[in-house]
Amino acid sequence: MVERFLAFGKPRFLIYGLLIFMSFLYLLPLYGLINTSFKTSKGIASGPITPVDHLYFGAYKKAFSSLKRPLINTSIIVVGATVLSTTLGAMTGYVFSKFKFKGSEVIFFLIVLGFYLPYQSILIPLVRFMGTVHLFNTYFGLILTHTAYGMPITTLLFRNYYASIPNELLDSASVDGCTFFSAFTKIMLPLSLPGFAVVGIFQFANIWNDYLFGLTLTQGVQAQPVTVAVANLKGTMTAVWNVQMAGAMIASLPIILVYIFLLKLVVKGLLMGSIKG
Amino acid sequence: MARRKLGIVLFSLPAIALVSIFVYVFVGQSINLSFTDWRFARPIHWIGFDNYIRLFTLDRGFQTSLINTVKLTVFFIGLTIPLGLGLAILLDLGVKGRGFFRTIYLIPLSFSFVVSSVMWMWSFLPESGTINTILRTIGLSCLAQPWITSTSQSLWSVGIVYIWQFSGFATLVYYTGIASVNPELSEAAVIDGATTWQKYRHVIIPQQKPATVTILILTLMYSLKCFDLVWLMTGGGPGYSSEVLATYMYKVTFNQNKFGYGASIGIVLVVLSMGVVGLFLHYMRRGEHG
Repeated sequence: MVERFLAFGKPRFLIYGLLIFMSFLYLLPLYGLINTSFKTSKGIASGPITPVDHLYFGAYKKAFSSLKRPLINTSIIVVGATVLSTTLGAMTGYVFSKFKFKGSEVIFFLIVLGFYLPYQSILIPLVRFMGTVHLFNTYFGLILTHTAYGMPITTLLFRNYYASIPNELLDSASVDGCTFFSAFTKIMLPLSLPGFAVVGIFQFANIWNDYLFGLTLTQGVQAQPVTVAVANLKGTMTAVWNVQMAGAMIASLPIILVYIFLLKLVVKGLLMGSIKG
Repeated sequence: MARRKLGIVLFSLPAIALVSIFVYVFVGQSINLSFTDWRFARPIHWIGFDNYIRLFTLDRGFQTSLINTVKLTVFFIGLTIPLGLGLAILLDLGVKGRGFFRTIYLIPLSFSFVVSSVMWMWSFLPESGTINTILRTIGLSCLAQPWITSTSQSLWSVGIVYIWQFSGFATLVYYTGIASVNPELSEAAVIDGATTWQKYRHVIIPQQKPATVTILILTLMYSLKCFDLVWLMTGGGPGYSSEVLATYMYKVTFNQNKFGYGASIGIVLVVLSMGVVGLFLHYMRRGEHG
């Protein structure tokens, strides 16, 4: 059957039909999200597939008023943790891609192994630790947590990235009198701007979308990230679907923008993180 | 030389320190806790393997979560891989707008699980949800399902969301893998009279092993770690019908305040994920030696 379908001339319309049908399935939940977010409660009653007849922004206003503080929180946490984990990842990646020393491979392996850690296994000590050092419910507590658990992937990504920069470049630089540090700032850093973009976006998206750490390391809105606040809209506004949808839209807007404008870098990050991992 | 040593230490120390504490010390503490009966505001006693014995012999909730985790993993991976491969092949058949379709399939990956859970709970509503409404509108009301509200379907419903979210990623990895197959090989096969189907079956698909392993390890990790979607969509319910290890651990720890017992469930998860990593390393090593 498949054989005949593929070999028999080229039933283009069938291929396109399948691709379009799949696109429809992939976009269906998103349609529900956008459509419902612009509806009034009355509009919702007209059914989930009926397109919105006039744009209503009330749900966005309501959602935004509950999400204002969490949006600021998330922005601070995401920027802090992305900058920190990306910078540290570049430094560590530099070391493990260009210098061999006793135990370097074992140490590198042990760092990257952290990527496969199920977070449930460290939740209790993590919460306890954050309480002990008074970082529970603080920005810095979350920044530190995201940075720490980001290290395995940022180190791996940068090591793979730097591995593609020829060693000869460093050798000739060291002949020219470049030290460890100046080789990094004068040779590696200028060459790694694309790497920073890819890893930075990867981390930005991951940390922005985090739920578990936000849920366990914050209490109330003080440091609460936007994902947790959106999930809580459900509890506080029972069955007010348009507000929930609007909240979900607001919370995903930055990521959607990144995907739209920086898709190439996103794809590169996904492939870098996966294929060589 | 001394400067280089200093550089290596300075540059790698922050990462080493962070990972040592947040990964290895914390896992060590969890192992320690898992041998105690620590509960909120109660004295701690060392109880040896009691928690583990209880998990595997008495605790129905745990056993159900373990089985559900395996079921969800098999369902999720078993459909994500063929779907990803199939879509990648369709895109490879010289269609116009490949990039466009690939982007659409990748869209779900951009959303946080929180946002996906909101969209899908709306889609799954039995009475007024998008899916059942569409089925009724096109005259297929017999296919309308109770989805997450039913004990027999809640786990699979969550699985569908996972597939929706990750299959575009599998498509991307396979698509890249197919594009990197040496074109001379497939051309030679076509010259030798291979049909399009034979070209894929005998030349291209056999070379997708690295892509498959990549997708396998990532999807396996995601299904072991899965917490957000289950927690937000079903809370593990109805009953224990969609309970997985990660949500059960969370309930035991943060709702019932049984920290020692919760730690032991976390350790079971670590053992499982290290098993996955071990299998992966084994495969890589075999690959290296041919």
